[in-house]
Amino acid sequence: MSSQLQPEVHAAARPKPAKPLNRMKRSDWLWAYLMIAPTLLGLGLFYIWPVVQTIYLSFTKWGGFGKYKWTGVDNYVLLFQDPNLWIALKNTLIYTVLAVPASIAISILIAVLLNQKIKGISFYRTLYFLPVVTMAAAVAMVWRWLYNADYGLINYLLGTVGIQGPRWISDPDIALYAVIIVAVWSSIGYNMVIFLAGLQGIPRSYYEAAEIDGAGPVRMFFTITLPLLTPSIFFVSITSLIGAFQVFDLIYLMIGKLGNPAAESTQTVAYLFFTNGFESGNGGYAAAVAVVLLVLILIVTAIQMKMQKKWVHYD
Amino acid sequence: MSVQTGRNRVGKNLLIHLLLILGALVMVAPFVWMILTSLKTLGESTQVPPVIWPTSLQWENYTHIFEMLPFYDFYWNTILTTVVKVVGQVFLCSLAAYAFARIEFPGRNALFIVFLSVLMVPGQVFLLPQFLIMKELGWLNTLTALIVPGLFSAFGTFLLRQFFMSLPKELEEAAKLDGCNHFQIYWRIMLPLAKPGLIALAIFVALWSWNDLMWPLIVNSTPDKMTLSAGLAYLTGEHTNMTNYPILMAGSVLAIWPMIIVFIFLQKHFVEGITLTGSK
Amino acid sequence: MKKLVSLAMAALLVAVAGCSGGGQSATPSDGQKSGAATGEKVTLTYALWDKNQMPAMEEIAKKFHEANPNVDIKIELTPNKQYWTKMEAAATGGTLPDVFWINGPRIIKYAANDVLLPLDEQIKADGVDLGNYPKALVDLYTYDGKTFALPKDFDTIGLWYNKKLFDDAKVPYPDETWDWNKLKEAAKKLTDEKKGIWGIAAAPYGQDNYYNTIFQAGGSVISEDRKSSGFDKPETIEGLKLWVDMINDKVSPSAAQMSETESTQLFESGKVAMVYSGSWMASAFNGNEYTKDKVDVAYLPKGKENTSVIHGLGNVIAANTKHPKEAWEFVKYLGSKEAAEIQASKGAAIPAFNGTQDTWVKSMPNFNLKIFIDQAANAKAYPISKDTAKWAKLETDYMTKAWAGQMSVEDAAKELAQKMNELLAQE
Repeated sequence: MSSQLQPEVHAAARPKPAKPLNRMKRSDWLWAYLMIAPTLLGLGLFYIWPVVQTIYLSFTKWGGFGKYKWTGVDNYVLLFQDPNLWIALKNTLIYTVLAVPASIAISILIAVLLNQKIKGISFYRTLYFLPVVTMAAAVAMVWRWLYNADYGLINYLLGTVGIQGPRWISDPDIALYAVIIVAVWSSIGYNMVIFLAGLQGIPRSYYEAAEIDGAGPVRMFFTITLPLLTPSIFFVSITSLIGAFQVFDLIYLMIGKLGNPAAESTQTVAYLFFTNGFESGNGGYAAAVAVVLLVLILIVTAIQMKMQKKWVHYD
Repeated sequence: MSVQTGRNRVGKNLLIHLLLILGALVMVAPFVWMILTSLKTLGESTQVPPVIWPTSLQWENYTHIFEMLPFYDFYWNTILTTVVKVVGQVFLCSLAAYAFARIEFPGRNALFIVFLSVLMVPGQVFLLPQFLIMKELGWLNTLTALIVPGLFSAFGTFLLRQFFMSLPKELEEAAKLDGCNHFQIYWRIMLPLAKPGLIALAIFVALWSWNDLMWPLIVNSTPDKMTLSAGLAYLTGEHTNMTNYPILMAGSVLAIWPMIIVFIFLQKHFVEGITLTGSK
Repeated sequence: MKKLVSLAMAALLVAVAGCSGGGQSATPSDGQKSGAATGEKVTLTYALWDKNQMPAMEEIAKKFHEANPNVDIKIELTPNKQYWTKMEAAATGGTLPDVFWINGPRIIKYAANDVLLPLDEQIKADGVDLGNYPKALVDLYTYDGKTFALPKDFDTIGLWYNKKLFDDAKVPYPDETWDWNKLKEAAKKLTDEKKGIWGIAAAPYGQDNYYNTIFQAGGSVISEDRKSSGFDKPETIEGLKLWVDMINDKVSPSAAQMSETESTQLFESGKVAMVYSGSWMASAFNGNEYTKDKVDVAYLPKGKENTSVIHGLGNVIAANTKHPKEAWEFVKYLGSKEAAEIQASKGAAIPAFNGTQDTWVKSMPNFNLKIFIDQAANAKAYPISKDTAKWAKLETDYMTKAWAGQMSVEDAAKELAQKMNELLAQE
């Protein structure tokens, strides 16, 4: 991404010849600032300032209804002693480690199938894409219903082949995986489109040459398709990871219910943030959770950026 | 020999279709079940073994939803916020993106890095202060609160900047010689050329706006200022007998159909848009 | 010149795009901009959470509007789960509805943070007699010597049972002779695993279930001075165990199951023969084709002490309402005998106004609703403290674990008591 930043950097430092040109440059600048100003101001007020503010808030304790006072690092001390944070971190990690690769693998598989010059691509694409345009609130609700252990369709179907289905969304050992399945289900369509584009960018001649060499489809997949798809995989994995770290909607709507035994074993960091910040009025504590989340995402993204050189092939 | 490869091809295609159809079933089945359940009585929905096809279609479930919740308001709020956000964000982001991509000015790189860094920050970090800002401005529980923060986007600026940079420079140089200023170049030359990028961004903004849950849940507290997504979440209340799945499913169907229709009609643009972001 | 014009145009465009959000959407919300004082049109918002009570509340609002044509009442219904999240945000943002329902667990927090209007002056000026309401409820809504709410209703808990399932299992209907042992026995007899029927739904709910049995066993949830937890008392643990034992004996659905399908809904669909639930369920059971004639309600089975839990809602006014005068008039009307009668006749809830409860009892003659009124006499107040919500969340977490068998009842209760004491010390 950053490579495109470079060429223009030095342009501004070129010797400036005549005065009229200079005046023109000034007006260029003015235009640039004018055009950037609205977005810059908006981002400043609603996104950049809030980051500073959240860091500040994480050192405060909230009384009733938004009154707060400075308490130093108390929130962080409490937070790191809070077993819920560690459970939430563990759950977030499990979620990320399972959901992201599973979604990528399945999406690649489907993209490869769709790329085989068959009829009805757009028909299939439409069907696979449906979950992407559906709001999480609706997705969560229908899956809650499918998963219902007493009246749900899934356990009924499992029952017809002699399998006693689990309590998908209330068994503490199962619920997180049930959510992961839904997350994968709803992300396949999006990732598939990206991979399909990546696949279509691979020249046919590569495969023809390999075919002459006597390579089978599996070998071609691993020696040609996969390496040339790495830029797409990198892009998808980086955006999915950031998304996975913030998972909230699905869990809040599928599990988050008074008295659900699976509530604790499915809470994630973002969920911890929401319940503290907006349900029990611990704004300062929630801010500390948000800061931890921010640091976590920065670290993971930095690692990925570093690692990318090792496995991503740009041609 | 050639007959055999021909037969192989047919066999291979059949296998591919089989796999794809199997996958498609998994993708579509929940939607089918959603619609079927939405037309059942509560009794039918809790029968074991399940009733697949409702004996008589309970369209009342849909009218019932409208009695329970101000769904017309939900639609209006969702459509209005989505349209304003799409138009506003595409316009503002394309302005900024044009400047970043096409004008040299002092501080450009520094500013751009600031924009990029916003991309890295998880939404939760903004949320509490954004809420407090809305409170200061007196915007809580108004549609303004739903819209305004969504007018500005680092992602949109980044996406469109990449797009503008891929356009040939000659055009604007010619325009400059003709005495056009930057706004004119942007407005008359660049915007028409950038149409695919603009549409892509518009689609993303629309999708996010339509489906966003957390922000509307937090800033707007009265049902008549809710969006569809938050309204749907409201349906699953505690102690309100709201494990009434036929009603819940009817609500879900009502909330998701507009986006699905939009998607089916603009499928090509959806795909192009996603492809655009995917190829850096 | 040309440049200047287009520059101005650009600025204008930016301005338009930047403001269009604000400009267009400001309009719908300005319903209450105008002055509070006299005959001007005024709209009051009235927030509540119980769908079952909507018809009664609408009727009351209509009657009030007829008497005060310049005041419109806009009722906002929010399901229980989101109601307090919403109010928390609204209180923080200063956008509370003019008049709204409040419950015991929240009152002190809202009163102590000055977001509610004290009503004493108005009560004195208009000569409202607080003696019209049960004292327990008036006390519940008095904080720091000031009255913040007029009691709206009260609720007690009864043993709802499915007559048909009792007949099928040949178990006599519950009556006032029942105690815990009889309850357990009956639950066992009523359970029919093959048919998928359970004797009782032992959900991990405080007010509906275990608060009653804790009090009956002589335990407590919180000390009288609201400074320490009662969860580590052996009596309290005994009151909790009754429920968990019934789950372990498989005479109740599991906690997991009841988190997927509400216990009252299992009862409504004939899957469960008995359920402890409040008087607030009467109108729902009455409106349900299945339960209408098949179920009835009886006194709670007795423990060591003959008691149960009582709680009631109040109507409060936001401190920053723009129309304090109209809001008070409305709250006064909500607390009046006439409004109480409307509530009662619609079967919405047991009105708090003394002497009107009989109308409620008669509103649904197919149920033995008298038990709810009788039980109020010996009932103990719902346990609260200044910040009830904080420890109530902990309570839910620990009780859920005990109910799901992830912790023993003793361990869960003792750990909860310890954590709760820490929180109470900070209040």
